[in-house]
Amino acid sequence: MTDTPTFELDGEAVPFTPGETIYEVSQRHQANIPTLCYDDRLEPFGGCRLCVVEVEGYRNPVASCTTVAMAGMKVRTATAQVEKHRKTLVELLTSENPHKKIDPLRGAASQELVTLQRRYGATGERFAGKTSGTSREDDPNPFILRDYDQCISCYRCVRVCAEQESDYAISVMNRGFSTQITTEFDNLLEDSDCTFCGQCVQTCPTGALADRKALRAESLPEPLEATRSVCPYCGVGCSVDLMSKGDKLVAIRPARDGGANEGALCVKGQFAFDFVQHDDRLAYPMVRERGELRRASWDEALDRAAEGLAAASRDHGRHSVYAVASGRAPHESTYTLQKLIRAGFGTNYIDNCSRA
Amino acid sequence: MPQPTDAELIATWASQPAPLLPLLHAFHDRDGYLSDDAIRAVAKGLKMPAADLFGTVTFYHHFARTPGGLDQPRVCDGPVCRMRGYDGLHAALTDASPMPCAGRCDGPIPVLTGHTVRVGTSAGALQEVPTPLPPAYPGKGSECVFASIREPDRATLDGYRRTGGYVALETVRADASGVLGTLEQSGLAGRGGAGFPTARKWRAVAEADARGGHKTIVCNADEGEPGCFKDRALMDHDPHALVEGMTIAALVTGASVGFIYLRYEYPQTVPILQKAIDDAKNAGLLEGFDLMIRRGAGAYVCGEETSLLNSLEGKHPFPRNRPPYPVTHGYDDRPTVVNNVETLCAVAPILRNGAQWYRDLGLGEHAGTKVISLSGDVTRPGNYEVPIGLPLMELVDDWAGGPLPGRTVQAATMAGLSGGFVAGDDLSITLDEPALRAKGSFLGAGGIMVFDDSRDMVDVSHQAMSFFAHESCGKCFPCRIGTQRLAERLGGQGPSALPVWNQEVLDIGSAMKATSACGLGTAAPLITDSLLRYFPERVQQHVEKNR
Ligand SMILES: Cc1cc2nc3c(=O)[nH]c(=O)nc-3n(C[C@H](O)[C@H](O)[C@H](O)COP(=O)(O)O)c2cc1C
Ligand code: SF4
Ligand code: SF4
Ligand code: SF4
Ligand code: FES
Repeated sequence: MTDTPTFELDGEAVPFTPGETIYEVSQRHQANIPTLCYDDRLEPFGGCRLCVVEVEGYRNPVASCTTVAMAGMKVRTATAQVEKHRKTLVELLTSENPHKKIDPLRGAASQELVTLQRRYGATGERFAGKTSGTSREDDPNPFILRDYDQCISCYRCVRVCAEQESDYAISVMNRGFSTQITTEFDNLLEDSDCTFCGQCVQTCPTGALADRKALRAESLPEPLEATRSVCPYCGVGCSVDLMSKGDKLVAIRPARDGGANEGALCVKGQFAFDFVQHDDRLAYPMVRERGELRRASWDEALDRAAEGLAAASRDHGRHSVYAVASGRAPHESTYTLQKLIRAGFGTNYIDNCSRA
Repeated sequence: MPQPTDAELIATWASQPAPLLPLLHAFHDRDGYLSDDAIRAVAKGLKMPAADLFGTVTFYHHFARTPGGLDQPRVCDGPVCRMRGYDGLHAALTDASPMPCAGRCDGPIPVLTGHTVRVGTSAGALQEVPTPLPPAYPGKGSECVFASIREPDRATLDGYRRTGGYVALETVRADASGVLGTLEQSGLAGRGGAGFPTARKWRAVAEADARGGHKTIVCNADEGEPGCFKDRALMDHDPHALVEGMTIAALVTGASVGFIYLRYEYPQTVPILQKAIDDAKNAGLLEGFDLMIRRGAGAYVCGEETSLLNSLEGKHPFPRNRPPYPVTHGYDDRPTVVNNVETLCAVAPILRNGAQWYRDLGLGEHAGTKVISLSGDVTRPGNYEVPIGLPLMELVDDWAGGPLPGRTVQAATMAGLSGGFVAGDDLSITLDEPALRAKGSFLGAGGIMVFDDSRDMVDVSHQAMSFFAHESCGKCFPCRIGTQRLAERLGGQGPSALPVWNQEVLDIGSAMKATSACGLGTAAPLITDSLLRYFPERVQQHVEKNR
């Protein structure tokens, strides 16, 4: 058996698996290296340079996200010099955007830059100058706010769209301070290859890409809470966080630790939840009387349904009953329905509207 | 002749190595610009996402996106051309737009229209002129890459052979075993900027496993550094020297494919190189080595070797993260030599004359020579091959005739713009890396622009930083924002209290030097460093005039 190699992380010998980056190893230990272009699902990019660390014997600091650990390295993650450069970088970033409040409703990662601005005391006073990025206020799509005034060109959106979704809907246009996130020919998202999966929104560290539907709840006073659930729309079983303010469901977010989806969703799971608390929903039972619906009590409605279904089963056999569960129903209801059909009526004629 | 169809163009290029740039150029040339339809057709033909290709096309300065754009004049607004009347010429030409230094600082202002470069200082008097030969050697020692360049017909196969050409290649083809040792002893180091020992690079590629693919030799002929025009002289007047050097590199390392990545602004060089390649090939000299030209499209950062490789491969030309280095993971992720034109041109003379001969060309303990592109306020601008260790002022005064009458030298840039500048007592410096590094600068690709006492060094610094901001690729934060902020401060914006201004500029510069992802971002602040070091009073006036 060979010994596990180690290197020195801020004076402590830490083991690593060959091929791991300094950043990955550090995450298991003090986990205090700041990043902005990093998303552990994506290829390390090396753009933000916040993760730089000093390695003994190297002339310049190295980006820990792209530098593979080597046995015997002596790494220091937070020297005064490195922290000074990080502060400068965060101050530079702060100077390139108009200053406005970034509501956490914008997206799962939307507070990353804000958090670092607080950590480094970057108030926007230093390095004032031209701002970068142009918001696409003309893009009317109902899902994704393209508020590129807040963009810091980390390209996480572009990379997640390519590497995780394989949609390649968005890309980087121009160079340097003029870089701008774009679609082919700078079009609207709906005219691009975008599927509105929302991945780019959820990885954006500044809220430049924001969940438009969630932002409708910006003025609600209650705190934002997350409740773990599973998306009902199909058989993949993506884990989601149902985001609520008080009694109101305000957004859905993919769960990064969801075994089936690792932070991904499709457009339905991500954005199609308005029906849950929609005004058009039935609020009480109704029965049909000579072709007209009228309000009824639960007892009356259930009796009527039970009689009808029992009669059909009795007169035409158990396979005359067939149920289709709705993808919009809660899992509990769907479970109960199949129980009723299988155990109650004795048939396997049960299906779901979205068995993708 | 009927215009080729989309399908014909795609069929011509799709199966070729590194097809994206030539295919885009083919559409650009056929239509006079790159239309949306052309981009869609190329994306489909090469099976690329259209959004990616659209973004990548916008990265390059010279791809026109509006009808007729290809033929609209682009006027060089580089530092030297600005001193020679860029403003007036630009204003006098219809539909003209500026282009960064086009590598002709040794003559009048270049104007690129379609595939023609004409030079002049007034709109009515632009003309096509061949690349000047290096001035007659004014030194006491001798030259290496320029030793035979002035021989008649040197650019032809016969002329080249008459003057010793391809002897080294034939020797190496018979027995390549001594090459690495000779190069190592010669001390030859990269002439493109970073000064990496050439033998070490070649050895690494020779020893690397091609992992089922092939090894590649890339000649970096992007020459985008402002104030550099030496590779153009070498290619236009001694193209076979480059072909020979590349073929020797291929034999030594086991490479079978070669690319010359040529900057867009050198259209006249394309047929010269192509003829040299064809003639050498027909003479059976390139056996087993497939050598091709690929034209860039206007991006200084594409001279950075990993950005260059991405550009060749048709990817977005951001520099790559290193390690791994190109010697193991270069073109197509396989072992690749990337060398500058001058480096490759030095190979055959060194092999012919021996390592000691080359070493002895340098002064004192320094080995070899370096071509300096000297321009700006000097009497005889041009390319001079100097012994390493030559005093700067000996080059300026004795070789190039000194400053213009009645003027004195105020400052000289190093490494084009990338080394910042030296001024004052430091003008007594010698031209070698140790001496220059000690002054916070470096020799790099060897462009030196001279500014006399009539020039405003704040303005020069502002132009320099605006160049870096224009060329920053946008991958990494320190350079993307830092070059912009420094350019703003040099252009009259920013804090009006001197200590605040100074602190901001120093903090941005030190973060850029320490954390930028490639040499563009680490070098750019040498401009502000040297400005603050040599001209603090000018900085003070500049900052305080805005109060
Ligand atoms: C921004 C930038 C631009 C560069 N441009 C060039 C260039 O135009 N030509 C060149 O040979 N090297 C250029 N280099 C250096 C290359 O990265 C590389 O070091 C060189 O081509 C290696 O060849 P050499 O060892 O023969 O010098 C550039 C580097 C940087 C960082
Ligand atoms: S919503 Fe999905 S498909 Fe659309 S741009 Fe974002 S990541 Fe790409
Ligand atoms: S939109 Fe967001 S994720 Fe995309 S580059 Fe800008 S800051 Fe990064
Ligand atoms: S230093 Fe500048 S040019 Fe180099 S990778 Fe960073 S942004 Fe791009
Ligand atoms: S996390 Fe390493 S450069 Fe951004």
